[in-house]
Amino acid sequence: MKLLHSTRSVAGRFAVFLAIALCGTLFLFGGKATAAGYPERPIELIVPWGPGGGADQLARLISKLMEPMLGQGIPVVNVPGGTGATGMAKLLASPPDGYSMAIYIADSHALLAGKTPRWTMDDITPVAVMMKVPSFIFVKQDSPFKTWADFEKEAKANPGKLKVATLGFGSVDDFSLSVLAKAGINVVQVPFSKPSERYVSILGGHADALYEQAGDVAQFLNGKQMRPILLFGEKRLDRFKDIPASYELGYKVALPQFRSIVVRSGTPPEIVKKLSDALKKVYDSPEYKKFMEDQYCDPNSWEDSAHAPAFVKQQLEDMKKTLATN
Amino acid sequence: MTDILIQLTHGFVACLSPVHLTLLFFGIVIGLLIGVLPGLTLVMGVALALPFTYQMDVTASIILLGAMYVSGTYGGAFTAILFKIPGEPIDVPMLWDGYTMGRKGKPAKALGWTLVAALGGGLLSAIVMVALTEPLAKFALSFSSPEYFVIVMFGLLSVVAIGKGSLANAFISMSVGILISAVGVDPIYGAPRFTFGSPILADGIEFLVVMVGAYGVGEVLTRLETGFATQPIEKIKNARTELPTWKELKEVKGMFFRSSVVGDLIGLLPGAGATIASFVSYGIEARFGKRRKEMGTGVAEGVIAPQAAATASVGGALVHLLALGIPGSGATAVMLGAFMLHGIQPGPQVLVTSAPMVYTIFASIFLGLFLMCAIGYLAIKPLIKILDFPEAVVSAYVLTLCFIGALSIRNNITDLWLIIAFGVIGYGFERLKFPIAPLVLGVILGPIAEDNFMNTMISFSNDWTVFFTRPISGTIVAFTVIVLLLPFIQKLRAHYLATA
Repeated sequence: MKLLHSTRSVAGRFAVFLAIALCGTLFLFGGKATAAGYPERPIELIVPWGPGGGADQLARLISKLMEPMLGQGIPVVNVPGGTGATGMAKLLASPPDGYSMAIYIADSHALLAGKTPRWTMDDITPVAVMMKVPSFIFVKQDSPFKTWADFEKEAKANPGKLKVATLGFGSVDDFSLSVLAKAGINVVQVPFSKPSERYVSILGGHADALYEQAGDVAQFLNGKQMRPILLFGEKRLDRFKDIPASYELGYKVALPQFRSIVVRSGTPPEIVKKLSDALKKVYDSPEYKKFMEDQYCDPNSWEDSAHAPAFVKQQLEDMKKTLATN
Repeated sequence: MTDILIQLTHGFVACLSPVHLTLLFFGIVIGLLIGVLPGLTLVMGVALALPFTYQMDVTASIILLGAMYVSGTYGGAFTAILFKIPGEPIDVPMLWDGYTMGRKGKPAKALGWTLVAALGGGLLSAIVMVALTEPLAKFALSFSSPEYFVIVMFGLLSVVAIGKGSLANAFISMSVGILISAVGVDPIYGAPRFTFGSPILADGIEFLVVMVGAYGVGEVLTRLETGFATQPIEKIKNARTELPTWKELKEVKGMFFRSSVVGDLIGLLPGAGATIASFVSYGIEARFGKRRKEMGTGVAEGVIAPQAAATASVGGALVHLLALGIPGSGATAVMLGAFMLHGIQPGPQVLVTSAPMVYTIFASIFLGLFLMCAIGYLAIKPLIKILDFPEAVVSAYVLTLCFIGALSIRNNITDLWLIIAFGVIGYGFERLKFPIAPLVLGVILGPIAEDNFMNTMISFSNDWTVFFTRPISGTIVAFTVIVLLLPFIQKLRAHYLATA
């Protein structure tokens, strides 16, 4: 997902066009939303990130697959900025009528664990969790660390020497590393908000390891330039059988990068249910399955509107837990 | 090598299909328009076009985006030379010699030089890109935060040093720019700075707001002061594009080559891009060029250096994207998105597995450069006519475009007030003889410098000597010091020679 941080200020001019188009439709079809005939007009899907990144790709795919199901257009609106905060502000400024929804991901969610979040869990209603992507520690292909044990040994022998490239302080990456630190694995976290610089730091040998999701570095995995040494999760994955999972080594941390769909709180429950059902059909389609595979998703990612809120809340609790005992 | 040529020939053939040619044409035209409009940068333009490419196949979409990227580095020169308003950040150096050359009655000549510079710089970097993709990509990997930081410092210091006015004023101007760029949430620790609790300020001040305000609105205010009665440029009847003659070209071939290489190399580095290329190239020319003393008075070298480097940087950035799968600039980051949406991960294996596509893209860059110059050549004549309109009318249009540009950055009405504020600041700077370029450059490069400085400090446990001890970084530092001290050494030498 972190792909388009570099262009996050490259705001969505496209958003202007769509906003105008939407205002037009609002004008034509105005009036109170009722669950019975929902949806009567296009539903905007806000992406709080720039075009082209992981969240954007998910949104475009949902829009394409869901439009014929609901019989209404689902225009995607990119509103990048502030680690997702700008796009969320747009969602929270729209009426809670089910005609605005947003892609909500773990990176934005991590802001809620910070000191002055601009929204809280009470402001949003998760409709569905569409993907959960586990994170890994990667090293360069020819790295001297053959396995996680090598890395762990070196980190314990020389605390504060090994460099791990991450998204930044206060991010999910940071939370996961802090759990390792409590287990005595002290590394230097080097924050690169731009994915390009993060990957160069590994390929160029400027950092020793990288915290990332596999789908984002798939080209380097296929090209034999990087390899994983540790998975953050409870169980090993079939596609990386030899890579130990954090839980089996005793690090109780598994913060996946999740991508969900949220609407504003106060949206009628029938509408939320309707959206959730449609999203389930999207989730079950072969095209979506292929997308999940390319992104190295957890095959059991789906959470419907009944379970998504609990999952999202639990994620926040887990993030806070890593901080609290620090 | 022959293998590459054969592949490239196939690429050209694929490029000549009606669909690809049409997209190439539209990409070039849209890119030029984006370049011309102040406030709408080429990165935004490419991002704006991305959703339209979802229905196309991957080669077609990259051809469209690549064409926009190339011509976007060229269009801004028109407004810079004709109206003293940079259409893109890369065109700020164009104001010094390009605009001056225009004021001296040779706007067509200045535009002719930019055309040749864009073509030459672009072609050279395209050739380098095709021939040396992989070794260049490997070279780029040896750069890390300390290197990026010292390159940015070189860009910042050279713009301070090359100004004609007071060094102190230029330095103050740059410092104000860097301070403005510090507004907002700090990128490393998330601490709010100068935000006064306002959510708008927490998102920071966009460099575009400062650039469009200080140059666009500021320039209109300056003209307002004289009652829109700036000495009109001598009327040019039947204005034609004046391409430089062979003789003139021969005189500048050395620096032409140098500027293109600088642009290509800087384009290779992630995060640097066309703007730094343009400034650094101008800075080098102003220090080491044959006619360094005349820079800023409307000489051809001052037009070629920034333009050739800016267009050349495109090739460098594309090498990085195609060979490493890592975007080196904002525009290539969007292009990476286009690749991924079609399920293609650029990277070393793409050169092998998708060679036809890669070479079609290479070929489209070559064709695009020629097409861009042909369109530019034809556009110069009607565009120069704009200079015949009453200044007040043109200024009204300029102001409108500035406002549209500012609003489109993030659809925020506060940005409109900000560009007015920065317009007044820019006007004040101009009146008080503080140069504006260091202010704007400070705002653009301040965050990049900060990010890389902080990263260096974190990775090397606060050891600032790494800037000097790492080989590449140390070399750039030494070069920067030479550039800064050169005028003093020359003065001392002149003094010594005079007294001896």
